[in-house]
Amino acid sequence: MTTTATKLEKRLRVAGSLVALGLLVELTTLHWSHPTAFLFFLLLGGTLMGLGILLYLYSLVAGGESKA
Amino acid sequence: MFTPITALIAIIALSIVLIAILIIHPSVTATRGGKILAFVAILILPIVSGGFGVSEHLQRSKTTEFCLSCHVMEDYGKSLHIDDKSFIPAVHYQNGLVPREQACFTCHTDYTMYGDFNAKLRGLKHVYVQYLGKPAQPIKLYQPYNNRECLHCHQNSRSYLENETHTKEPDRLEKMKTNQLSCSTTDCHNIVHRVDQLKDQTFWKEAGK
Repeated sequence: MTTTATKLEKRLRVAGSLVALGLLVELTTLHWSHPTAFLFFLLLGGTLMGLGILLYLYSLVAGGESKA
Repeated sequence: MFTPITALIAIIALSIVLIAILIIHPSVTATRGGKILAFVAILILPIVSGGFGVSEHLQRSKTTEFCLSCHVMEDYGKSLHIDDKSFIPAVHYQNGLVPREQACFTCHTDYTMYGDFNAKLRGLKHVYVQYLGKPAQPIKLYQPYNNRECLHCHQNSRSYLENETHTKEPDRLEKMKTNQLSCSTTDCHNIVHRVDQLKDQTFWKEAGK
């Protein structure tokens, strides 16, 4: 018997993936002292983390317990 | 040694591990503990690490290494090692009158990141020009050098206050304080980077470098 993930779980996966990617970008930029590193951190890392966090918050309020 | 950067890397690593757990087993969020885990891993820890990351990058942006990381600044870094006491940046750098790790920022406190909104926009433009454009030659300050950059260190020093030239007129010190009389564009302290004269200079070799 297979279990299909709920919408909430799918959103959490996507949100978590986005945040994790943003954190990896942040980790990479910490090894580099250059203006471009700061911009990557803010623009790329910040955007990924921001999107992930927003999606997570949305998944909290949207609920979405129905099976996908 | 446990440094702020080590703590930041640890927080990021922890966050990634916890998120990985959520990605692999999202069903843990069905429980109260799982919900708290998700809240901490996706919201709290990333925000904390983001904040620390911004702080770390801001601190790095004050370092000499950061400023000289762009190719166009290479000659300005070399000018700090000119073996000639008449060159103001070189004298300050070589004698520890400014911290060597933040030599540039100490004398250029309102440049790009640390200036007003327009200065910050210019900083972004500099990154664009660095990769896609052609840097201006020679590089010039956008605004006249502010005496504040000298006076934030020299203002209360005896050698400055009692200097014969500085006290030649009764209001000269006040004029310098209010930028009516420039420290650097008069004939007094105007030998600064002079990168166009580098090929004619001898250089001090810093120990260990």
